[in-house]
Amino acid sequence: MSVEAGAQAPVIEIRGLRKTFRDFWFRPVAEAVNGIDLTVERGDVFGLLGPNGSGKSTTIKMVLGLLAPTAGSVKLFGLSPRARAARARLGYLPELSYLHPFLTARETVMYYAGLSNLDRKTAKARTAELLEQVGLAENANRPVGGFSKGMARRVAFASALVSHPELLILDEPTSGLDPIGTREVKELIGRLAADGLTILVTSHQLFDMQDVCSRVAILSHGKVVGSGRVADIVAAAADKRHALEDYFVARLGAGQEGAK
Amino acid sequence: MRRFLALARSATLEALAEPLSAILFLVALATVHLAPVFHYHQFGEPGRLARECGFSALLVFGLVFATAAAVRAIGGEIASGTAAAALARPVPRGLFFCAKIAGVVASFALFLVAIAAATVLATYSSAIGAALADVAEGPVSRIWTPGLALGILATLGGFVAAALLNRFVRARFCVSACLLMALAQPLVLCLALPLGQEGFASTALLMPWNIIPALVVLACGCCVFIAFAGALAVRLKPAPTAALVAGAVLISFVWPIRFVLPEINRFWLVDRLAAGGALPWGEAGMAVAAAVCLVAFWLIAGSLLLQRRELP
Repeated sequence: MSVEAGAQAPVIEIRGLRKTFRDFWFRPVAEAVNGIDLTVERGDVFGLLGPNGSGKSTTIKMVLGLLAPTAGSVKLFGLSPRARAARARLGYLPELSYLHPFLTARETVMYYAGLSNLDRKTAKARTAELLEQVGLAENANRPVGGFSKGMARRVAFASALVSHPELLILDEPTSGLDPIGTREVKELIGRLAADGLTILVTSHQLFDMQDVCSRVAILSHGKVVGSGRVADIVAAAADKRHALEDYFVARLGAGQEGAK
Repeated sequence: MRRFLALARSATLEALAEPLSAILFLVALATVHLAPVFHYHQFGEPGRLARECGFSALLVFGLVFATAAAVRAIGGEIASGTAAAALARPVPRGLFFCAKIAGVVASFALFLVAIAAATVLATYSSAIGAALADVAEGPVSRIWTPGLALGILATLGGFVAAALLNRFVRARFCVSACLLMALAQPLVLCLALPLGQEGFASTALLMPWNIIPALVVLACGCCVFIAFAGALAVRLKPAPTAALVAGAVLISFVWPIRFVLPEINRFWLVDRLAAGGALPWGEAGMAVAAAVCLVAFWLIAGSLLLQRRELP
């Protein structure tokens, strides 16, 4: 499918996705993802929620083409996740801020700009702009190996945004952040969503996700046990403040009953 | 090309940023420069000990430095997650593998430059020192020539300068130390050219320049093991990779694993330089051509392995 055709397709389309991890002898060890169907449309802030081990990160890694599905299909902008044209349009923030400790914050963002094929002049300007945006302009020349977890997270955020992506994939973006850092990330997600960016985000912080997500899917044991628009979930809830949390607990309970 | 350069540059920096690298540069250069001090061990020819020290330093210290860097650049990045973060970008996996190996080879080239300059200077100093000992009145235990003093000063000076740069401008210590120690060697070689000992005209013509192409041939053989280590590191953890590479190097001294790994003896041309011997250019050319083919083989193998590698 051409890039032009891909422009009309959903940003992410997942059908019957399964992933079984195997050991050295190819014996199945864990069924991480067990038949997921999802569609993320343009402009969505889509929350993929679930407890630890529910298959969120595995799903994201299959969307990124880092893991091969055991069965089913993933389409990114209508293309295979391994297609360079598809990956050129996304930014990725991993669950842990995987950074080279010997590079400075500026060099790190410039490195990812280079990987996104930005020319040097554009990359320098974009790096300066993003480091300013994430509040690291004054620490731009310090090696990231000496950064706190929160500062490293900001560098990773700037690196994810350096190529002006159309789709931003955030794996636990508030992991390890203090309340102020968490609020800053939420505000940033809100600003990016307002600019029309499509965002796929995984998190345990349901209270935070209720504020930023437009749609959610609840994962349990590698299956989608509930999904819907956050506005509808809140409208239907008795306790508006904890609507997503209540929905999450209810769907998880239903999912476990179903599994039994 | 930008992607290739970004990946290669990070691999070079990573290779030089390791404390082990600075230590290996220091120990290798000190070994080569101090060889002329032991001028009684001439193996029948003034300068031979220094020359063979240089080749051994490249093979042992250089190979440890470069293969460790290759394992870190591929296996380390896969284990730490930085490879996944990079490959989530529009970066082909084959390009990632080749660029990382190219970055490691670039850092190994820096090591080669340092060792080549140091070996030429040490071999020359050793020959001068031996000749001076012959004409000296009474027993002489040590002969300190200007070249020897310059070489040791350059090595220690590079280390100290790196510390000062780190103290005052926060430059990365290990990267600066490797760079300064390496680049100081050709500099002092140039400075040593017009320095003459009494009765010995120290000119460029007297320098044993044929050491350099022979070292380049050996370096080409080492590059095969760098690419081999990188390819293994795609699937294996660092410890088994290091064990397999060490085993392969040892085996390659005894017999070649044809079409897969080189026979090190074919790259070890230092013996041909003994007693004023000339470098066998045809043989050297064949060895380099074989190394190029084997590096290409391991680059393709590593790229294919990475294509199929899952990055959890």
